[in-house]
Order: sequence, then structure tokens, then C-alpha cells
Amino acid sequence: MDRRTFLKIAGMGSVAFAAGCSPDPDRKLFSLVHAPDNMVTGQPQWYASTCRECPAGCGVIAKNREGRVIKLEGNPAHPVNQGKLCMRGQAALQGIYDPDRIRTPRIKENGRWREISYAEAEDILRRKTVAAARRGTDRVRFVSDVMGATLQELTTAALSNWNASGPVIFEPFAYESLKTANKAVFGIDGLFAYRMEDADVLVSLGADFLETWLSPVAFARQFKAMHRLNQKRKGLFLQVSPFQSLTAANADAWLACHPGSEAVVALGMIQVALDVGRADHLPYDLRSRLEKVTDPFTKERVIEQSGLTVAHYDQLAIRLFQAENPLVLGTGAAAAGTNSLATDLAANLLNLILKPETPLLDFGRRYRVETATRRPEILKLLQEMQAGQADVVLVHNANPVYALPPGADASAAFAQPKSFVISLSAFMDETAATADLILPVRLPLETWDEYGAVSGAHGIQQPAMGALTEAPSLGDLLLRTAFDAPPPANSYKEYLTGALKDHHGIFATTGWVKTFQTGGLFSQRRSAETPIDPAAIDLDFLDQVFGQITVDPNDTVFVAAPSIRLLDGRGANRTWLNEIPDSLTQVTWQSPVVMHPETAIDLGTAQGRLLALENGTARIEAPVYTWAGVAPGVMMMAAGMGHTAYGRFARNQGANPFALLPVETAPLDGGPLNSVVAPTVEDTGRSVPLAHIDGSRSQHDRKIAPSVALKDIRAGLKPTKPGLTMWDFPLTLPIPEGYDHKRDFYPPIKYEGYRWAMVVDLDRCIGCNACATACYAENNIGVVHKKHILEGREMAWLQVQRYLDDETGTRVTFLPMMCQQCDNAPCEAVCPVYAPHHNKEGINNQIYNRCIGTRFCSQNCPYHVRRFNWYTWQWPKPLNLQLNPDVTTRAKGVMEKCSFCIQRIKAAHNVAKNEKRPIRDGEVVTACMQTCPTDAISFGSLMDPESRVRKLVDDPRAYQVMGYLNAKPAVIYLKKVVQEV
Amino acid sequence: MSELTFNQVDQTVLNSLKPPGKSYWALIALLFAGVLMGASCWLYQIFVGVGVAGMNNPVAWGTYLINFVFWVGIAHSGTLISAILHLFRAGWRNPIARAAETMTVFAVCTAGLFPFIHLGRAWMVYFMLPFPNQRNLWPNFQSPLMFDVVAISTYLTVSSLFWYTGMLPDLAIVRDNATGFRKKVFTVLSMGWTGRFEQWRHYTRGYLFFAALATPLVISVHSVVSWDFALGVVPGWHTTIFAPYFVAGAIHSGLAMVITLMIPLRRIFGYQQIITIHVLEAVAKTIVFTGLIVGFAYGTEFFIAWYSHNPLEQYIFAWRPTGDYAVGFWIMAICNTMIPLLYLFKKVRTNIAALFIISLVVNVGMWYERFVIIITSVARDFIPHNWGLFSPSLVEYGIMIGSFSLFFFLFCLFVKHMPAVSMTEVKEMLE
Repeated sequence: MDRRTFLKIAGMGSVAFAAGCSPDPDRKLFSLVHAPDNMVTGQPQWYASTCRECPAGCGVIAKNREGRVIKLEGNPAHPVNQGKLCMRGQAALQGIYDPDRIRTPRIKENGRWREISYAEAEDILRRKTVAAARRGTDRVRFVSDVMGATLQELTTAALSNWNASGPVIFEPFAYESLKTANKAVFGIDGLFAYRMEDADVLVSLGADFLETWLSPVAFARQFKAMHRLNQKRKGLFLQVSPFQSLTAANADAWLACHPGSEAVVALGMIQVALDVGRADHLPYDLRSRLEKVTDPFTKERVIEQSGLTVAHYDQLAIRLFQAENPLVLGTGAAAAGTNSLATDLAANLLNLILKPETPLLDFGRRYRVETATRRPEILKLLQEMQAGQADVVLVHNANPVYALPPGADASAAFAQPKSFVISLSAFMDETAATADLILPVRLPLETWDEYGAVSGAHGIQQPAMGALTEAPSLGDLLLRTAFDAPPPANSYKEYLTGALKDHHGIFATTGWVKTFQTGGLFSQRRSAETPIDPAAIDLDFLDQVFGQITVDPNDTVFVAAPSIRLLDGRGANRTWLNEIPDSLTQVTWQSPVVMHPETAIDLGTAQGRLLALENGTARIEAPVYTWAGVAPGVMMMAAGMGHTAYGRFARNQGANPFALLPVETAPLDGGPLNSVVAPTVEDTGRSVPLAHIDGSRSQHDRKIAPSVALKDIRAGLKPTKPGLTMWDFPLTLPIPEGYDHKRDFYPPIKYEGYRWAMVVDLDRCIGCNACATACYAENNIGVVHKKHILEGREMAWLQVQRYLDDETGTRVTFLPMMCQQCDNAPCEAVCPVYAPHHNKEGINNQIYNRCIGTRFCSQNCPYHVRRFNWYTWQWPKPLNLQLNPDVTTRAKGVMEKCSFCIQRIKAAHNVAKNEKRPIRDGEVVTACMQTCPTDAISFGSLMDPESRVRKLVDDPRAYQVMGYLNAKPAVIYLKKVVQEV
Repeated sequence: MSELTFNQVDQTVLNSLKPPGKSYWALIALLFAGVLMGASCWLYQIFVGVGVAGMNNPVAWGTYLINFVFWVGIAHSGTLISAILHLFRAGWRNPIARAAETMTVFAVCTAGLFPFIHLGRAWMVYFMLPFPNQRNLWPNFQSPLMFDVVAISTYLTVSSLFWYTGMLPDLAIVRDNATGFRKKVFTVLSMGWTGRFEQWRHYTRGYLFFAALATPLVISVHSVVSWDFALGVVPGWHTTIFAPYFVAGAIHSGLAMVITLMIPLRRIFGYQQIITIHVLEAVAKTIVFTGLIVGFAYGTEFFIAWYSHNPLEQYIFAWRPTGDYAVGFWIMAICNTMIPLLYLFKKVRTNIAALFIISLVVNVGMWYERFVIIITSVARDFIPHNWGLFSPSLVEYGIMIGSFSLFFFLFCLFVKHMPAVSMTEVKEMLE
């Protein structure tokens, strides 16, 4: 080897070594040569917009740093969500940055995709639609998810130019039965809001209003407004349903019933009402007809058919009829079936009976999702496509091939050559895969638009950052392609301005700017419709609906339920939503069939076994998960997984329960049948390791998430004599006043100015995991995927732990667990290199570049909240653009954990210092606290005697998890308040 | 033994240093291959991440620390035999003292590798060194891991010096009988030992002082290792009995390893007359004693768990013999406390095969003792939601095999190139 070769090799070796040992995510920072006027490096810009991950349409503010959106937070000004977001909203950014997002249009030629330019694609779209329009009426069809009024108006105009009628709005969960029931009882063919916060007794017949039903974030807030502990009182919530959803898990009592028998229970209650004379205010005809139809539903019959216990039946009746302000909600999408209309109808009638003036039904506020087309019309479209009556079909933000049952044969309808299918999807989902042309349009967070989720809450959408792709927005695309000169506007933005001017009277630019700054027009404008007189209720319709109730308690029923994580499957390509476990099963990345342990025994299977479900046309395989929160004889599967396309994260994960549903719809309301008599079930004999993150479902009688009875609180909680054991160790604050010379070896730690602490009210926590998702988004937490979850390497800094009671196994307590920032931290003492460092404000800082990875801290942490980077986790491009520049990304070999969002504390310090004042209480808002729909989390300094946390720790419910270790955790929990039913 | 002459002793030992045959080199090659395999596993782990091992949350310590404690334990009886028994004038230690000390030194070396292998960022290990630096870092001497650094390095230093000092007269004997290159090497190694009276006087004094110095280390090192656990808050770790319990366990495993090593050694090199069955018997008797201490410690742990009324403590001790790792627990309990009791029978003690097999069983049992302590405690500690299980990965097995290969590789090299039996000390016994 000569000298030059040696030097080359030596040089290369050291470069390779240096490169190999450094974390690779984005080490370069470029400053812009000409920065926009309002862009200051390090200062975020916030853009108000509207979340379109589901029809609820919550307001968001998008945090833009140096030109890219890095985080979504709820828009505090928006009346729907008032600053909060659910986990799907938090994960919306992962759609924009999806690595499998389609960036250029493509056309299918001989079964293969060829990329073409946007101009070419638009040209094809124009030619095809014009040709179709010439051939006759309704030969161009448009399928979309729920759209804002303006966009829908434009689409309708475009379609009429193409000689076609308006768009088909496809939502897999479209509330057909509820709409029909509302029409029948109140004469309102739509979906109105509820004043849940004013109820004192809430009964849900299956509506999963904390997860997906209508507007879950708003309902979570309203629910906690009635269900929180207030003046030693608390509203009561009972849920009648065949399985525990997250909503039922938050009920004071879950009244397990057989699927479809919710209607029977409700009719039984109507009968009781009639018997006790509560319905005397009803018109005679209606009352007598109700007496007739409810006649068979005696207590015995109800109990026999529904499987309710006698005690539950009695309690339901007593509580409902004793209530001052009772509210009965109908059923949810999971129960959609032949009886769901009867359930919703009975629920509406019950509301009418209990309170004739129906004060809790807010008829003036109507949900936009009511515009969704009923299922039979969608099936009709498919038939027309098959029959060659639709020459061009445009699909926007809808995935019927995935979400419709196989009997609808949607894939064949879309794939057949007679229709030229144009997918406007940004993702290669199942429907896009069958299309002839894919012309991706911009995603909601990249466009100008407007979406009125509910009357009086007109959220606007504006691009939260520069476009990542050249894709046009749907509005611009339609303006360019569907209108002969001159189009109604030159751009969709202009069109939108015009529409806002016409409909909302926004003229001046200032009004515009103000609207876009606040995120929308939040007037109290209401829909004018009022309910019809009860005398006008079509009595024969009641006969018809209640006459066809069929319940066979011996059937085994299969239920496809909407999922808080993936909704109808559209969330499946977001890694956070897959990685964060289902609240109740704690399973990630999988779609288990959930059933009662007895059902599993009857079916000859057991937890973890792979079950094959088959209905003649389709067969799916899914692992079994058993727990007592499902009524015997029910098999529940959450929708959303089992994609055959939709990008790398969604494809081939889990199974699709829609595959087992029949294509038939309910005869009277046209709703899909999501609850059906079970398909053939067979244990494949194989076992599948379940990727669940919980080690045990029980608290093992430890003081982890204790609860306190409401009656004890009413009686007044007496202080107990402090001792040294797990149960009588006193609350020890992580500040010098928590020092006790008898217990403490080291002198108290003195804090300068602040001692950050968190109070988590378990009575408010509903276990929705929004906090955990926000934490992933804020803190650049690695996603490890199923393989490593199975190995126990999940990285979540905040986990919402789920515990079941030991007696029944059906009562659920959630415990958000994150670093407890102990005053006397066991992790700090054992690290040989001081990587966990106690700062002067009490925070246990983890210094990543000091850590050498002994993992002693994790071993010694009683809460096991420390997370080790077993590998360098990857963010496939462009997901890395979402990374928060204020938070380091961690490479392999170092420990990490919750930092109390130290970057936010530092930001607050900077602001306070500039303004020469101390940080105000409530000024620091951690990511988890920010998004919590029920305000379960409070954060502040314990050194400030006036701070919110300082006051909350005086609550007699306050305790510390494993407080007896005297680690003096700074996360203080308030016990859950339970009431016996 | 008394029928041996001084010359016979010298010849027997010197014969073992004759040029080795093919089978020896084949063995060395095999062991070296094992070392290479372990090293490549480690290299792979460094490049990919510690995730290639089976650890997780909550069980963040796995076989690397099990092996660390195991080898530190093995390292114990060498010094016990050479130092403590020297002070007690237990004559039977003389024939095996050298081999046992060699075992100690190599076992400490092997053990010392494991903390490095265990680290998430092994390349940052110098952060633990206390030297003034521009990073403004100073190690945390409150951490038991820093105790370890100090204790293990002290132990390695003292035991190697003690080992080398004791070897000086023997190295001179080898020098005197060697020719050519070997003579030059041993001339340097024996440091001008001539056997003059003053030299002997300094040597015996020095050796005695060394023995006295090394004695506390025997106790301290494994006590310190036990504090890695006992100073933690984890139920099953946080107990004051850990120090004596670990020391007894270490001696238990070390003595078993001595028997495991001595039996092939005396057979291969014909040391039967030097390392007599009485010597082995004496070791076996000590194993009975240490086994009883270990058994007592196990019992005490259970008693205290019950007596403490601490539900977590009680849970972990109920779970160990019945839970997912019950097999490991029963291997530990039976192999360490029951089976060594067979040594109570003279027939078993004097039967070479039985001696050998039981010693292997004790080694296995002691490995499992560390497994039970390290894995089970954190697998089921405070918060049930966090509970999880651990199973070693292929990389860990590779590194484990590599560590055994390394130890035996070094030991085999030693016994063939250095005097594995202390000729001087054996001669002392002949009077």
C-alpha cells in the first residue's frame, strides 16, 4: 500500500466513522435568502384552519415553523372544540407528510401506472367530462366525503355544466337511522345537536359520542361538564350497549345488552313511562298508539330479550324517571342494523316523553354530516356504473372500495372499463388503485376553503404552509376544467371570498383577515327549523318500525364498530394512530376480534388465537382478544384496518371487518348493517402474539389508580392518619414543605422561582389518548411499529394506562402515566454520568448527549416511564418535516422520557423575561394538557401559592402513585369519583 | 503427596509446559473462533443498536449483566483461596491456588467486558472516568455503577499483582529449565529472582501483606456488585442481605468453577499426585458450606418478604417460584442448595465424575440465580401496566458463548505456557 492509498483509506475510514456514529435526521439548517416579512427564525406562525379528519370539523391552529407545519392544536375560538383536538386531529399532519403520498398524476395504461403532468391530467379530465356530458344527463358522477357548503355549491355547479346532478356524499357512517328517527318524531330530516352539559342523567343506547359520534371532541367537553364533580354532585351516565366502547367505559354503569335489543330496552322504558303517567302530556292518539306498540315490552320480556340484569333494568327506570333533566341518546354506527331505527326512534320518543319541551335537544344547530347520502343511493351508483350509465366517475376523499361490503362489488364497479374513474385522492387507497386516472388534489390543510361543521360554526380553511406538491385544490381544478369561459371566479380563493360575501356578508378586507385570523365565522346563527307538533307524528310509521324489531338472544352477533383511532379506515396510514393503543384493549397495529371470555370458550378459541371468520363471500383472519367488557355472544371488531392499499403503514395491517358485512341495507332508513348475525367462525389453530402494551389489566390492589365513591365525598372525606405504608403514606409535595426530617435523608431541594408540577384529574380523564398523540407530535417520539411493540420497545412518553376492576373486569379506570418529575428521583441517583439532572425548577432533565445508556435509571424508575432508544428510529421522508425543531431527535443508545414539554417552559421564560415579569400561572401549557378535551390535566408551579395546581393539590382526592416510596412525584393525581348504580 | 520429592514436583509442572500437540492448538483455534464470534456480535450490536439484544421496557438489563455478575462471582474464589486460606494456613489450598488465581484474573477480565457490551453507547464510556475535562463532566459517585468501576478495577489490579508476585519463584524455576527464546522471556518475567535469602524474606512478607490486602477485596467487590441492585428501589432488589448473599454466592460459584477446571487439568497434565482427591474434597466441603449460606439467604428473602407486609415484596417472591420464570427459580434453588448437599457423602466427594458433574450443576444454578434476581424483579415491579417479560436474543447467546470462549481461551493459553501449579507452595506442603 502506498502512501496515497493509505491516506485515502484513513480519510475515508474516519469520515465513515464520523458519519456512522451520528444521528442522521436533518442536520442542516438553511436560512432563507429572502425570508418573508413575518417569518422570524425560531418563532412559529399560527394559521387557523379546520380539521377535516372526520365530519365533526373542529377548528385547528396550525403551528408553522420556518415554512413547514409541525403541529396542530385546537382553535380556542372555535365553538365546536374550543381549543381541543382528538387523536385523529393531532395526527392529521401525518397525512400531509405521508411518505406514500401521490405527488404526480398518473394514468393507468394496460394495468400499469404511467406518471403524467398535472396539465395532461387536467386535459384528460376536461376531455372525458365534456365527452360524457355530450352523451346525456348524469353521465358524470362525483363521489366525495362531506364537503363545506361553498365547495359543494361549486361542485354542483360544475356537475350541472357536465349535465349531471349533484355530488354523492359518501360517509361510511352516515347516521341514516338517526336522521329517519329525527324526521319521524321531530320532523327534522337531519342531525341536530344536544345540550348534554345541562343533563343530570344521560342515557346512551349505544351512541359512542366520546369517540366518533357526530362531534366527539365537543361531546367530550359537554359530557364532562355534566359528569364532573361539582359541589359534591355529579351527573349520571348510563350506557346500554352490547360491548364497551370508550364511551361505555366512561359510564357510571355499563348495561350490557344483546345487540339490537337497545330498542327493546328503550321501548320498555316507554312502557314504564306510560304506566307511571309520565306520558300524559302526549296527544291521545300518540299515547294510545305507543301503549299498543309497547305492550309486548314488559319488564320480563325486555330482560329476557336484552339480557339486562333486573337490577340494571330497575336502576335505569328509576334514574331516568327521577331525573330533572334527562337526556337519551340513540345508538351509534356500530349498532346500525335492522333495529337501529327503532332504537333511535324510541330514544327520541323518550326525550319527548320525559321533557315535552325537549330543552336538551338543540334543533337549531345542525351537523353538516347530515348531508351525507344514504347508503342505497351509493349502491345505486355502483349499479349504474356496472350498467355503463356513468362514463366518468370522480372520487374525492372517499374510499368506497374499502368501506363498502364486498357484496356491493365496489371494486368491480370501479375497475370495469365502461366508467372512466378519476381518483382525486392524494393517497393510493383501494379506490384509487382501481381508478383509471389519479389526479391528486391538495389536502384540507393546504387549501382555502370553508366548512361549517355545525350551524353557527363556519370554520375556514387556509393553507398552513406552502404546497408540498404541485397538486391543485379541488376548487381550482373544478374552476379550470368544468367551466367554459368565463368561470365564476378565477381561483377558488376568489370564489370563496365571493361566497362568504354573499352568504355571510363579509365585504371589506379587514373582515376577511379577521375571519381568517379567528378561524371562522362563529355567529350564533341557527337553523330556523323547529320541531313538529307531536300530534303530527306519523303513527303508522311507528307501528311499522316497532313492529319489525327482531332480537334473538341466542344469536352470536358480529359488530363492525367505528374506531376512535382510525374512524372508518381513513386514519390507517397515520403511524401515530396505529402505534398508540386502543384505549380498551391496549392493542396496537392489530385489529383483534374482541369478545367475552365465555364466548371464546363457546367458539373453541382463546385469546391470542387466530380466528378465521367467513361469510361465504369473504374470509378474514384476526386474533382473538377477550375481556368481560363485551356481552356474551358478541364479536366486536374495530373498523379501519385490513387495507390492501393505502400506503406502507396501512397495507396488510390487521383485517377489515367491513368485508363480513352484508350489502343489504335496513329497509326503512337505508342504513348499512354493521351488526349482523355472526359469520362462520373457525379457530385456525395458529396463535398470533397480540401487540398489546399492558402487562396486566389489574391494579393488584396497589395504590395506582384508586377511586373514591361519590357518597363518601358527599359525606365528606375524613383525613386519615398518616403512616408509612402504601395506603396511608401522606401526600408529600415535591417542594421544601414536603421535607420531613424523619423520612428524608437528604436536605430539601431549594427551588428558584418555580417548581413545575402537574395535576391529573382521573375523574375527568376519558382515556381518549389525545394527549398521547399530542405528545408524539410535540416531542418527536419515535414510532417503533408492531415488531418492536411486541418486543416491549414502545417509546410513548405518555401512556394512558387502563385498569380493570378485579371483581367484574368491566369497570375501567384510565391513568395517564408520564414522567413524574420526582423531587427525590430514584433515576437521578443511579446514573453514573448525571444524565438525569434535576434542574432548579424541579424538572428532571434528561441530557441526551451525556447519556451513555446504562439503563439503570429505567430499572430504578418505579413508574417505568423512561424510554430507551434501542435503535435509531426512522422518519421516512417527508415525515421528518413534521419534527419539532425545538426538540432534539434522539439516536440509538440514549434514554429519553417526558420532559414536561421543557421547550414550552423555556419559551414562556423567554416571553416573561422580555416583558420583565415572572411567568404567569397557566402560561405554560404542555402539549398533553393543551389538547385534553376534558381539561383533565393542569400544569403550573407549586411554589406559587395562588397557582391552580397548588390549589388542586389541596383536594382531598389528591394522591401520588406509589407515593409511599417517598420519591415525591410532581405529578399529582385526583382520584376518580365513582357512583354505584 | 508426601512421597513426592521436590524434583518430582518441578518435573511434573515443567512437563506441562512442553510444546503442545495438535489437539491443543485445535482447541485454541476453536476457542478463538468463539471469541471472534462474540466480538462480531458485539460489533453488530454497536452498529445497529442494543435493540438486537432481547431487553425491553421494563426489563432493561438482560444477559449482559447476568454474565457480568456471573463472571465477577467466578472471580471470587481465586482470591479467597489464595489470600484468605493462605492467612488461615489451610494447606490444601496450595496446589490449586495458582490455577484459582488465574481463573480469577481472567474471569475479572471477562466480567469487565460486559458493562461495556451492555452500554447503549459504549463509545462514550469514558464519560465515567473522573478526570478534569472541558466537558465539565464529573461522574456521579452516588451511583452504584461508579462504585463498580472503582471496585472492579481495584480488584483486577490487586488480584493480578498478587497472582504475579506469587508466580515469581516459579517463573525462575521455569527460566532455569528453559532454553533459547523461552529462557529470554522467562528471564524478563522472573525479574532476576535468584532465590537468595533476602529475596525469600521479602517475598514471603510481601505475599502475606498482599494476602491481607486482598482479603477485604474478596468481600468488598461482590458486596459492591450487589449494591447495583440493593441500592435500587425495585422489590426483590432492595434488601440489606444482598451483600453477604452475593459474596456467599460468588464464592459458591467460584469454588464450583475451581472444581470444574481442576478435574480436567489434573487429568491432562497428570497432576493427580499434586492436586489430590483430598484437595478436591476440601473444596467440595467448602461448597457444601457456601451452598448452605446461599440457601439460608434464599430463605431469608422469602421470610422478610412475608414479614415486611409489603405487598409488592410479597408479590415478587410469590411470583418467582410460580410465575413465568419458575423454571429458572427452581433450577436456581435446586442446583445451588440441594444438589451440593450430595457432597456431604464421602462417596460422592471422592468420585471424580460426581464431583465434576455437581460442580457444573452449581455453575448453571448460579447463572440462574443472577437471572432470577436481575430479570424477575423488574419484570413485575411497581406498576402492573408496565410488566413485561424478557428472553435473550441470538446476539446475546453469541456474546455469552464468546465470553466463555474468551475465558477458556485465556485459561488454556496460560496452563500450557505458565506454571499452572505453584511449585514453591506445593513444596512447602511436603515438609
